[in-house]
Amino acid sequence: MEYAQFDSRMIGNIRVHVCTSEKFKTTTLMAFFQQELAPEMVTKTALLPSVLQRGTASVPTTISFKRKLDDLFGAVLYGDVFKRGERHIMQFAMEIANEQYLKEAPKLLAEGIQFLSEVLLKPVLEKKAFKAAYVEAEKKNLKQKIESLKDDKIRYASFRMIEAMCKGEPFALFNHGRIEDLAKIDAENLYTYYQDVLSTCPIDFYCVGNVTVDEVMELLEKQFGGVAKAARKTIQVAPVHHPVSEERVVIERMNVKQGKLNIGCRTQTSVQDEDYPALLMFNGILGGFPHSKLFRNVREKASLAYYCSSRLESHKGLLVIQSGIEISNYEQAVNIIREQLENLRQGKIEEQELKQTKATLSNQLRSQMDRSYEMIFYHYQSVLSGMQRPLEELLEQINQVRIEEVQKMAEKVQLDTIYFLRNRGGNEDAKS
Amino acid sequence: MQKVDFDQVQESLYFEELPNGLSVYVLPKKGFFKTYATFTTKYGSIDNGFQVPGKEKHQVPDGIAHFLEHKMFEQSSGEDVFQEFSRQGASANAFTSFTRTAYLFSCTGQVEQNLTTLLDFVQSPYFTEQNVEKEKGIIGQEIRMYDDNPDWRVYFGLFEAMYQQHPVRIDIAGTTESIAEITRDLLYTCYETFYHPGNMVLFVVGPVDPAQIINLVRENQAGKSFPVQTEIKRFFPDEPEQAGDKLKEIEVSVGISKCMFGFKETKNRVHVTGDELLKQEMATQIVLDALLGSSSELYQSLYDDGLIDDSFGVSYTLDRGFGLSMMGGDTEDPDRLLERIKQELPRLIERGLDPDTFERIRKKKIGANLRYLNSPEWIANQFTGYRFNDADLFNLVPVLESLSLDDVNRRMREHMRWERFAVSIVRPAKD
Repeated sequence: MEYAQFDSRMIGNIRVHVCTSEKFKTTTLMAFFQQELAPEMVTKTALLPSVLQRGTASVPTTISFKRKLDDLFGAVLYGDVFKRGERHIMQFAMEIANEQYLKEAPKLLAEGIQFLSEVLLKPVLEKKAFKAAYVEAEKKNLKQKIESLKDDKIRYASFRMIEAMCKGEPFALFNHGRIEDLAKIDAENLYTYYQDVLSTCPIDFYCVGNVTVDEVMELLEKQFGGVAKAARKTIQVAPVHHPVSEERVVIERMNVKQGKLNIGCRTQTSVQDEDYPALLMFNGILGGFPHSKLFRNVREKASLAYYCSSRLESHKGLLVIQSGIEISNYEQAVNIIREQLENLRQGKIEEQELKQTKATLSNQLRSQMDRSYEMIFYHYQSVLSGMQRPLEELLEQINQVRIEEVQKMAEKVQLDTIYFLRNRGGNEDAKS
Repeated sequence: MQKVDFDQVQESLYFEELPNGLSVYVLPKKGFFKTYATFTTKYGSIDNGFQVPGKEKHQVPDGIAHFLEHKMFEQSSGEDVFQEFSRQGASANAFTSFTRTAYLFSCTGQVEQNLTTLLDFVQSPYFTEQNVEKEKGIIGQEIRMYDDNPDWRVYFGLFEAMYQQHPVRIDIAGTTESIAEITRDLLYTCYETFYHPGNMVLFVVGPVDPAQIINLVRENQAGKSFPVQTEIKRFFPDEPEQAGDKLKEIEVSVGISKCMFGFKETKNRVHVTGDELLKQEMATQIVLDALLGSSSELYQSLYDDGLIDDSFGVSYTLDRGFGLSMMGGDTEDPDRLLERIKQELPRLIERGLDPDTFERIRKKKIGANLRYLNSPEWIANQFTGYRFNDADLFNLVPVLESLSLDDVNRRMREHMRWERFAVSIVRPAKD
C-alpha cells in the first residue's frame, strides 16, 4: 500500500499540498505561517491565533462565530503556535465533516475553505485595527496561559530545562511568549504586525480528505489569490552544531511531591543530516519505547519511576530525557541514566534491542499515516528542512542502520544540562 | 459470524460469541495501515466488593484492579510481554478505569502474532510475592505523579464531593497505604473472578479480514480450558440521593485556580442500559452544551468577564451505578464564577432550550460523531464501554436523530437539581 502522497502546487507564492484519501470521513485543512523565533515578535505571534478566532467581518461576535462552526456540522477550528528549531510556526486547522456521510448536508468543503479564509483575511476590524476589546481579553488569557505552565509539572520541568540549556539562544523562548511584552501590545500595533505576517511570512496550505486536487486549488485560489502575490522571506535558522564545554546542573524548588528529572543533550545532528536515521535509532534504543534501556533499567529493574523516556527535538538537535522520581532517589536515577548513555557510547547494544527498535520505530512512523494531522506534520517537516525524505525511504534507511552507526551517533551526543524540580525543605540536598 | 452494515457512515461490524463466552468484534478499516485491538474485562476500580456462588464474599484493597493490570505484563519466562510486542513491531499498553480494564496493542504488521500474544498474556497470569512487592515502588511513583497533577485533583475532587459511599469516590490507583496490603493471593482471587472470557470483549479494528481474525481467536480459545462461568455478584454500598460534602477544596502549587462543578445523577437514572442509556447521555450532553458550551450566551458572558478561558469544558459520565455532569476549567476567581452560575443557571433551566439551539447542537454532535469514526482507538474503546452497558455505539446517531426538544428539556429538569450540585476547587498554594 502506498503511503500518503501529497500533490504540491503553488498559488502565487503560497505552497499548497493536497492529499486525496478515501479513508477519512472528514476533511482536514491546515495553514502554517513561519516566523523567526525572536524576543521582539514571539508574544505577538503567540497572541494572533486567539485574536483571529474572536470574530470576522461576517460573524463579528464570538457567539456568532462559534455558532457558524456549529452550523457547519460541528466543524472544529483550531489555532496554535509551536517551535520548530528556531522557527516560530503559527498554525490554523479546520476539520469538517464530509457530506457524503451525512443526510441532507450542503457542500461543506467550499463552506469550510470560505470560512477559514475569512478567519485569516477578514477579521473583525475597528478603525483599521483589530477590535480592541478582543485584543485586551486575549492578552489576559495569554497571560493566564503562560502562568498556568507551572500547573503541569511535567511540561513545566521540560520547558525549564530547555530554557536553562539554551540560555542566550532564541530556542529558550516559550512558544506562548513572555508576560512582560503584553503591556506594549495593542489592537493597532498587533494588526500592523499581522499585515506584515500575511505579506512576508512563508505560508503552506494543506488539505487531506476525500477531495480532488483541482477543486481544492480552485477554492483556495479564489480566496487566497490576492494575498499570495506578495513575496515571502526565508527564515534563517542557527546550525544545530553546538559543542558542550561544561555540563550544567540546575535545581529548582517548588511545592511538589514527586521530583521531575529532565536531562538535555546536544545531538549535533539535524533532520537534514545523512545520519539522522541513526539518531532516530539511538533515541529509540535509549528511551523511546518500553523495551528501551531507560524504561527497563530505571523503571523495571530499579523500580525508581513510573515513566522514564527520551525524545528528540529534531529541528534543534536536542535529545531530552524525562522521568518522575522519589526526591531522595535523584543521584541513583542520574547514575543509571548516565550508565545507559555510556553503554551506548561503548556499543553495548544487543541485536534484540536493534531489531525491536527497528520494528517499533517503523510501526510508529507508519501509524502516523492513519491520522490526517500527523500526515501533514510529517510532510511539513520536509518543507521546513528542505530535505525530501518520503516515508518509504526513511523506513528503508532505518532498516539499514547497524550497531556501529548507533554507537557512532552515541559518541556525538553530549550531555549538556541536568535539571531537577524538587520539593521545598528537606535536608538531603540533591547534588550532581 | 454475524455482520451488520451501517450504510450512512459506510462501516460494517462483524461479531461472534465463542463457546467459552468471549465476545469478538471486528471492524475492517480499508486504507488504514494500523490495526488496533483491545481485550477488555468488565472489571474496574469500583468492583471492590464481590462474590461468586459457593465462595466467600470479598472486600479487596483500593487500587487492586489497576495493580493487577500492571502485573499482567509479567510472564513466567521472566521476560515482560512488552519485549515480545516490540519484537513484533507492536506498541502495547493497558488502562484501568472505574468500570473496565483494557489491554491493547497497535501494529502495522504481524497482526496475527500480536493478537495471539495479546490473548495469551492476558490469559496466563504470573504473580509472585517478589514481583508484587517490586511493583509497589513503580505504582507509588504513579500515584505521586497524579498527586502533583492539579487537573486530575480537581476532576477527582468532584467525585469525592458528590459521592458519599459509592467506590467511584476512591482513586483508581488507590493510595500508597492501600496498595501495601495487596498480595499475590488477592491478585489471583480478582483475576479468577473477573478475567473469565464470559466477562470479556475483544475488539479489533484495522485493515483486516474479519473471518481470518475470528477464526484465529476461535482456535486460540478452543485450545484453552476455563471453568464454567458463574454469575459474579458485585456489592455496592447504598448511595444517598443528594451530593455529599458539596464542596471539596485543596491547595496545590498552581499558577491559577481550577474549578469544576456539576450535578450528581439522580438515583433512579444511574442503572439505565441499552438505547435508554444512549438517549440519556445524548440528551444530557445537548443540555450541557446548550447551556454552557462555547457557543452559549452564558459561556461568552463569563469569558468576556474574565471568569473563564478556553480551558472551560462540559461533559457527562454515566456508567454502572453512577453518573454526573462536569463543567469547569481554569479560573481567576472560582468564587465569583460559582456565584454567577448559581445566579444565572436557574433562570436558563426554567426557560428551557429553544428549538433553534437544540437543532444546532444536535447537528454539531452528528458531525462530531463522524470525526470520531476516523479514530480506531475511539471506536474500540467507546464500543466496548457501551457494550458492557448493553448499548450499541452505532445506535448513537439514530438515537440522536430521534430525540425531541421535549425529551431534552425534561432531561434537563430531571438532572439539574441543586440538592445534587457539588463543587471541586484547586487553589494556588503559597509557594
